[in-house]
Parts: sequence; C-alpha cells; structure tokens
Amino acid sequence: MKKTIGTAFAATFAGAVALGGFAASAADPVKIGFSESKTGLFAQAATSQYQSYNLWREQMNAAGGLDVAGTKRKVEFVSYDDQSNPGKAVQIYEKLITDDKVDLLLAPWGTSLHLAIAGVIERYKFPVVGNTAASVQLRKLKAGNIWFPTSLFPDRQSDVLAALLKDRGVNTAALVTNQLPYTQENKSFVVPALKKAGIELVVNEDYPPNVKDLTAVLTKVKNAKPDAVLAYTYPADAVLYMNGAREVGLNQRVQVVLLGPQYDFFDKIFGAARNGILTMGHWTPARKDWPSARTFADAFKARWKTDPDFVDAPLAYVSVEILQQAVAKAGLDKDKLRATIAGTTFATINGPVRFEGVMNVALPTMISQIQGGTQHIVWPPKERTAEAIAKPAWK
Amino acid sequence: MAEHSRFLALLAVAVAAFALVPRLGGDYAIGVALNLLMWIALTQSWVVLSAMTGYVSLGHAVFFGAGAYAMVLCFGSLPFWLSVIVAGAATGLLALLVGYPCLRVRGPYFVILTFGLAELVKFVVINVEAALGQFGRLLFGGPGLAQIFYVVLVLAAVSVIVTWFVRRSRFGAGLRAIRENEEAAETLGIDVARYKVLAFALSAIVPGMVGAAMVLRTTYFEPLDLFNPITSFTIVSIAIIGGGDDVPGPVYGALFLVLMQELLWANWPEVYMILLGGLLVAFVLGVPDGIHGRVAAWRKARG
Repeated sequence: MKKTIGTAFAATFAGAVALGGFAASAADPVKIGFSESKTGLFAQAATSQYQSYNLWREQMNAAGGLDVAGTKRKVEFVSYDDQSNPGKAVQIYEKLITDDKVDLLLAPWGTSLHLAIAGVIERYKFPVVGNTAASVQLRKLKAGNIWFPTSLFPDRQSDVLAALLKDRGVNTAALVTNQLPYTQENKSFVVPALKKAGIELVVNEDYPPNVKDLTAVLTKVKNAKPDAVLAYTYPADAVLYMNGAREVGLNQRVQVVLLGPQYDFFDKIFGAARNGILTMGHWTPARKDWPSARTFADAFKARWKTDPDFVDAPLAYVSVEILQQAVAKAGLDKDKLRATIAGTTFATINGPVRFEGVMNVALPTMISQIQGGTQHIVWPPKERTAEAIAKPAWK
Repeated sequence: MAEHSRFLALLAVAVAAFALVPRLGGDYAIGVALNLLMWIALTQSWVVLSAMTGYVSLGHAVFFGAGAYAMVLCFGSLPFWLSVIVAGAATGLLALLVGYPCLRVRGPYFVILTFGLAELVKFVVINVEAALGQFGRLLFGGPGLAQIFYVVLVLAAVSVIVTWFVRRSRFGAGLRAIRENEEAAETLGIDVARYKVLAFALSAIVPGMVGAAMVLRTTYFEPLDLFNPITSFTIVSIAIIGGGDDVPGPVYGALFLVLMQELLWANWPEVYMILLGGLLVAFVLGVPDGIHGRVAAWRKARG
C-alpha cells in the first residue's frame, strides 16, 4: 500500500513536472531583435519608432501574446544602441542573428541603416519588414529579404511633388539638399521631374549632414527670389532650415521641408510656425477610410503622452502589424515567413499593404501639409483630407 | 637571431590558432575575432609612425576610408584580393603625396593637421559621391565572412612583422632618434625628411588594405561611416592602453578594448559607453605606461 502511494505520488509529481515543462516551452517568449538609434545624428527622430514598437509589444502581451501559427507567445525585445552608425548597425544585426539567435527582427531607423543591414539579412536570409526608409537602389538590386511599406520612394515622390508645385502656380524653385543617401536620392529624381514640369531650378546646393548653420545658403536662396523653396532635410538640419528661413526672411508661399515637420519635437520647437509647410507623408488620422489610424493615434497618445509623428510612428507600427499577421499565418520559419510577407495583402493603420518586389503597391504616393497643428494629405486630389494652403509669413 | 626565430615561431602559432576560428567557431566568434585582428593591424601600422617617431597621427581613419573607397571603385571589375592590393598601393601613394608637407610641422600642429586631413578627404569623397549621383553604395555579392577573415588575418600578421623588423632595424633606430631629438638625429646624418615620409607611407598601406576588406563585411559604403574619426581615436586609445613602441602593445591594447567592448556591450547595452569611457580614464591615469609597460616591469621584477 505504502509503495502504491509512493508510486502514485511519484507519478503525479512526474506528470506535474512534465506538464510544467510543456507549459513553459509553449509560453516561451518570442525574441525580437533590432537596433535603435539612441544616440547620434538620428537619435531625436528615432524615438517615435521605438515608441511604436513598444506600444505594440505591450498590446500583444496584454492580449496574451503574439499569435505564432495558433500558439500565443509573449513578446520579448532584444535591442542595442547603434549610435546612428551604419557599421555598428551591421554588427548588431549580425550579433542578433548569430549570437542572440532572435526569432524575428524589426528594422533600424532610416534609409542609411536599412541599406546597411540589407547585406547582413540577405546573407542570413532573414526576412525583415522595413519601415522608416525607401530606396530605389534596393528596388534595382531586387533584394529578397526586405520590404518597404512606405510609398515615399524618391522617384514617385518627385513626380507627385512636381505636379503639386505646378498646381500651386510655381515657375521657379530653389533646392537645398543634405548629403545623406535618402535626400540625395530624392534630389537626383526631383531635378529632372521639375524640369519636365517646366519649373526652373534657380538654386541647387548641397550641405553636409552634420551642418551647423544654413544661413549662407539660405541667403543665396533669398537673393534668387524663387516661387518655391525645397529643403531636402533630415530632422536635425530641418530645425536649422526653419530658424535660418525665418532669420533671412524667406517668405515664399510654397516651402517644402522633406523630413522634420512630421515630428512631435518639431511641433514643440516651432508650434504654429509649422503651419503651411509642405512635407512628405502618406498617413494622417484624419483619413476616414482608415478607422484604425485614429485608434492607433489615441493609443499612442495615451501611452506616451505625446502625439505620434506622421511618418515614422505609423510606419513602424505598420511594419509590426505586417509581421504580426504574417507570423500568425506562417509561424517563425524564415522561408514560410518570407513567402507570406511577399504574397499577402495586409490590413494596417495605413490602409491595405501588398508588396510587389520591395515596394508596397497598394498605397499611392502623397504629399502632406501641416495645418492647424496636425498633418493633412493635400495631394493628389483623390487622396487628400484637406486643400493645400499658402504658407503664412514668418512671425 | 634567436630573438627573431622565437618571434616568428610565436607569430606562426598565433596565426595558426586564429586560422582555426572559422572552422571551430560560429559567425559571431568570427566577427569578434575579425574585429580584434582589424584593430591589431590598424594599431601596429600606427605604431610604426606615431609611437616610433613621436608624430602622433589623429587621422588614420583617412587611410581606412580611402582603402574602402578604392575597393568600392574596383568592386565588380577586379577580383577581391587584387582590389585589396590596389587599395594598399593607393593609400601608400596618398601618404607619400601628403606626407612631405604634413611632416614639416610637429607636436600638436601635426596632430591637428592629420585630423584635418582626414576630415578634408572625407568631405571630398562625400562631394564626389554626390556629384556622381551615388547615395550610399551597396556591395552585394562580395566574398563571405570567412574569406574576409583570412585576408585580415594575413594583414594583421604582416603589420606585426613590419613593426617587429622596423623596430629592430637601422631605419627603426633612426625613427626613434627622431622622436628623442630631431635636430640631433639630423646632425648624426639621418635623412630625417625621407625617414619620416617613409614611415608615414609604411603606416598607411595596411590600414588601406584593412579598410578595403572591412567595407565588404558591412557590404555598405557611406563616407561618414568609413571615414569616421572614431576610428582614429580608437587606434590611439588602443596604443595608449597597450603602451610602448613595439609589437606587444597594440596586441594587448586591442585584446583589452575589443573583449571589454563585447562584454560590456552585450551585458550592459544601456551604459556601456559610460563604462568604457570610465575605464579609459582610469587606464590613462592609473597605468600610464600601458599594459605592455606593466607586463615588462613585472617580468623584470621576477627576474
């Protein structure tokens, strides 16, 4: 009898251990790695990407976990600071793949770092849904492990912008361009696009990425008296443009600032002075046909006590939405995941996403404008949430 | 003579041990070992000029970057190994060209000049790339990680051999005489100008070749990254931590810095830069003669 009890006890114990063991493996968290630009040139702009990632992770975990082909598993992040340095980002993704052995990867911030990691993820055949980047170069190379949900590809963006400028009655324009890859690529397409639209380029100047003052080049712009000013900036130098333009008195009614006005920090610095600035962007919570856009904006505000920006925060969230839906279908197997991402239409806060090659072909290219503290889509006409306005004079 | 053969035997053992890494270790281990070899090669080359003559270069990133750029220009038209050699020749030539005017100034002026030169070349390349309509170059389809590793291993071995033999040659004695007292060296009949320019060129060739190989590891060329002044600063840090003007210094320094960096970075990603900075300060204050100096003193004390 004693023996039976002992056996039964042992059996129960063993069973409990086995069950416990099984439960533990099913609930093993999914490890998701990425590099963050916590310091360096991109630090200010990269924050909202990180906030979107974390918002998503918390939402997943609150809902019991990420659905991995039918099994709910908690989400755990592994991330390192890349110091806004492409070389560092490459080492980090190498480490994430080969040493940390993460299950999934998220994208770093910006086109430079996306281009930099493209080689590593190609080498290890590790699919990554990009977000805050677009490059015609990668489209040409036919990369098979990275995709861009954005429609801000420099060639298309340039054509759309030229059409808008023409519509605003612009005949002459000045262009100042940061020497970083994304802005340079944009420049190389907008110059012929303007010419084709019959807009004369009266100033065309470059400046280095770590520029500290733009007054000299903006004075040159002022003297040329163009109808429109195109500042192809990154967020840090966009601040210099705004200050410089006000100082030298650039009062053009059409001013395009490529990257900067979308961000919350820009709003905090310039407030109402942002009004009327044209910028890139294809997302706004004002679009009624994307109901989850508003839900996302509210959740972001509730979590971070600040509004999401209009480019990176939504794009980062779109990229995890895509990954989430692909993983629910395909699990964590890299080949299945790649095929699923490449061949599925996803529902996101930025409308449907469907990839052909590296590009999202479901989303048209658009131009936005800051109006009354928010960002509206103003071009092309069938996509817009508001009419474009003339930029008020600086105060 | 016995000293030379002992050194060569030791070097052969070290190279053989490193050559096993790709066979035994995973990609991560190869990556760390590759980093280590890269810093050894760069710092050994720097020692030939700066530690031996006392002309401290704060611009060695220029050779690393120029070598990488040479590789970018050769990529796709020349085989990998040939491109590496072309890169070495190009940076050696660059050093010969700029060496003569640069080495006419001394002390802090030379330091600032080398730094300025590196920045100048960086912005020239940025502008050339912009004019060519290039926006960060992708170098897909290059050699694999192991192949790059073997090339950098050879370069590290070459740099060690160069430092060793220059240190023990008439040429090396001349360089050190320049460091101690340049006028006195000249009166002794040392062709000071020629020696300095030769040392400059010699210290530029291997970094150029290393840059050429390493840009294929990241498969991405952006001037801001390849001509990063941090590269120059790191070389000087390693030399200071390692100490001395001979082969062991850079090896100790690189081992310390690379392993420390890996350890801190992997375990305390949030604070690793702070910890690393603190460690460097502690080192400069507490161990001014470097690890090599300490090891030598310890050996002497033991007899």
